[in-house]
Amino acid sequence: MDPLEYIELVFTDYTLRTITLGTAILGAVCGMLGSFAVLRKQSLLGDAISHAALPGIAIAFLITGTKDSSVLLIGALVSGLIGTFWIRGITSKTHLKSDTALGLILSLFFGFGMLLLTFIQKQPNANQAGLDKYLFGQAATLVESDVWLMAIVTGICLIILLLFWKEFKILLFDADYTKTLGFNTKFIDILITTFIVLAIVLGLQTVGVILMSAMLLAPAAAARQWTNSLSFMVVLAAIFGAFAGVFGTAISASQSNLSTGPVIVIVAGVFVIFSFIFSPSRGLLFKQIRLIKNRRDLELHKTLAFMYHIAETHENISHPHAIKILNNFQGYTTKTLKELVQKNYVTIKGNMWSLTKEGFTVASNLYNQQNTKDE
Amino acid sequence: MSSSQIEIQLIASIVAIACAIPGTFLVLRKMAMISDAISHSILPGIVIGFFITQDLNSPLLIILAAFTGIITVVLVEYIQKTGLVKEDTAIGLVFPTLFSIGVILIAKNANDVHLDVDAVLLGELAFAPFDRMIIGGVDIGPKSLIIIGTILIITITLLFLFFKELKISTFDAGLAASLGFSPTVIHYGLMTVSSVTTVGAFDAVGAILVVALMIAPAATAYLLTTDLKRMLVLAIVFGVTGAISGYWLAHILDASIAGSITTMLGIIFFLVYLFAPSKGVIAVVYREKQQRIEVSLLTFLLHLKNHQEEEERHVNHLNEHINWQKVRSKTVLELAQKNNMILIDNGVVSLTEKGEEFTSLAIDYIITNEDAKIEYMKDDFFLFRG
Repeated sequence: MDPLEYIELVFTDYTLRTITLGTAILGAVCGMLGSFAVLRKQSLLGDAISHAALPGIAIAFLITGTKDSSVLLIGALVSGLIGTFWIRGITSKTHLKSDTALGLILSLFFGFGMLLLTFIQKQPNANQAGLDKYLFGQAATLVESDVWLMAIVTGICLIILLLFWKEFKILLFDADYTKTLGFNTKFIDILITTFIVLAIVLGLQTVGVILMSAMLLAPAAAARQWTNSLSFMVVLAAIFGAFAGVFGTAISASQSNLSTGPVIVIVAGVFVIFSFIFSPSRGLLFKQIRLIKNRRDLELHKTLAFMYHIAETHENISHPHAIKILNNFQGYTTKTLKELVQKNYVTIKGNMWSLTKEGFTVASNLYNQQNTKDE
Repeated sequence: MSSSQIEIQLIASIVAIACAIPGTFLVLRKMAMISDAISHSILPGIVIGFFITQDLNSPLLIILAAFTGIITVVLVEYIQKTGLVKEDTAIGLVFPTLFSIGVILIAKNANDVHLDVDAVLLGELAFAPFDRMIIGGVDIGPKSLIIIGTILIITITLLFLFFKELKISTFDAGLAASLGFSPTVIHYGLMTVSSVTTVGAFDAVGAILVVALMIAPAATAYLLTTDLKRMLVLAIVFGVTGAISGYWLAHILDASIAGSITTMLGIIFFLVYLFAPSKGVIAVVYREKQQRIEVSLLTFLLHLKNHQEEEERHVNHLNEHINWQKVRSKTVLELAQKNNMILIDNGVVSLTEKGEEFTSLAIDYIITNEDAKIEYMKDDFFLFRG
């Protein structure tokens, strides 16, 4: 299937359109809120909460007997929130550290959820089939009402985010200062945590419990590499998330036997790898290039300084010297010599080199450490 | 009890012990989430091993899976070292991606064979006794029992051989390095044991229960003791208790054994979390309340000592002067009276001899800033103990 055909299909095919829209919105909202999770060092909260939501889904089903996704999501939200605040309780009231608390809540809630699910499966109620789609996620089960729900939640998130932007921002970077300014940090904290839990719960149906944490983190981690500004990072993360959703859906739709969730996660992972390598200011590639360039500059300077010391002892600074004497010097390579010639610091005649006037000035400045200009 | 029931409980208990040992060190090293990451990211290792051997029982699967577990740790550490993201984000990025690769590999290539994600992730202990290890025509027991038993023996051997090294590098990596044993070797050794244990336990009980068995017993034990040896023993006891009681819960409810064991571990943790003698929530809250009252009492006694004037020492005046709520000042007054520190005469409060002595001692400690000794002082004067 070529891309044009696919795009046409997205607009005409109901299922494909719903899934594409759904995953795009989900990606955007996850990216947006994930930025806060990443910056608050709550990255693994996503993993813990998505597992902790399972018993809520099961209990909501046990109580209401329906598989209506909004009812189940409320259950998931409640148990996700209980999980989150219990994690808080464990870290603040005992000496257990946050990673232990996260792992505890994650595994214990999920295990309890499994117990409930198998218990439900034994019930004489034909309605229970499909509850386990929350474990692995099945984008194909998305219907239009789910997409509406996601869109509405995203809208509310966006409004709240804009309303409390200043508070969120200041809380991220200096919680103590926020308190002294008289903001109710507890309220802001609960607000942002609730929204993160909400985003996780929304994603469960689409990408499943295990992959949800990547959905939350990957767009934010990728966006972080390109900017130091929070607002730009949030926008960028939302865009990355949405694109991961769209591309992931497209790839999984064009092949048989590919579930959407894992593909979206891998696409998001590719974004992260790309950002890690190619981001101009933080990326590994440019960091390496800068390192090499600095090293080469240093070698050039070393050679120049060495030449300067030789030339200094002569009255005529352009007095020619044999190239051979440079061979004893560590920083010297043919390449650095060529570069020096190119920069017009040195002239070569046969086997002899001599420092030019320009080269002498630069070298003397270098020696006096007055020349701060990067060569 | 039928023999398969006994076998299931035996497998569950041995898995619990095998998990509790590395789990204790993971909890102490603040690396609990690594066990979660490993348990998910070994999936591609299992899948690739299956593609190579076409046999779910091949030992190559275990080796490859354990190797993937170690790759996970290395990757997480590499990403963390680049400084681009924090450690927790690195964990959160690595394992879902590896897991996704595993899921896709299964979906693309192994759709028609017995290897589905549910089974790998959730595990079914109930079937474990039916998969027998038969050597030379002789049935020597369930396969998972043999595998996890072997892993347990290796773990225990390593634990005894390297206990000192593990202990020191856990609590003080710098000291360990200066004593001449590399914390890195110990670190990767522990990661390898965790990885192998996860893989071994995985087959029988599934990914999530492995995490629960590693973290929950160790965390529960940590609430009760800070002694490493005692913590190990307690973690094992809690793990085995959870395993056996969980089996019977599953038996009663006719539900998943792994889920029931986790639930039991959860209940045990919750009880200890609430009622642990010195670190439980109730004890902590009670102690905080006591400390608040003790501080109030001290402030109150100092106030009395500083003011000889009668109007400053009148019961009614104290409320507004020190600005306490009624209830609290009443508690403080009662406590002081019970300890014979004050006398109330016609609504005027005055210090007794014991009160005077206590207050001067307190001032002494405050001035010399030896706050540690205040604890002994409180013992000497029997605050809260009548």
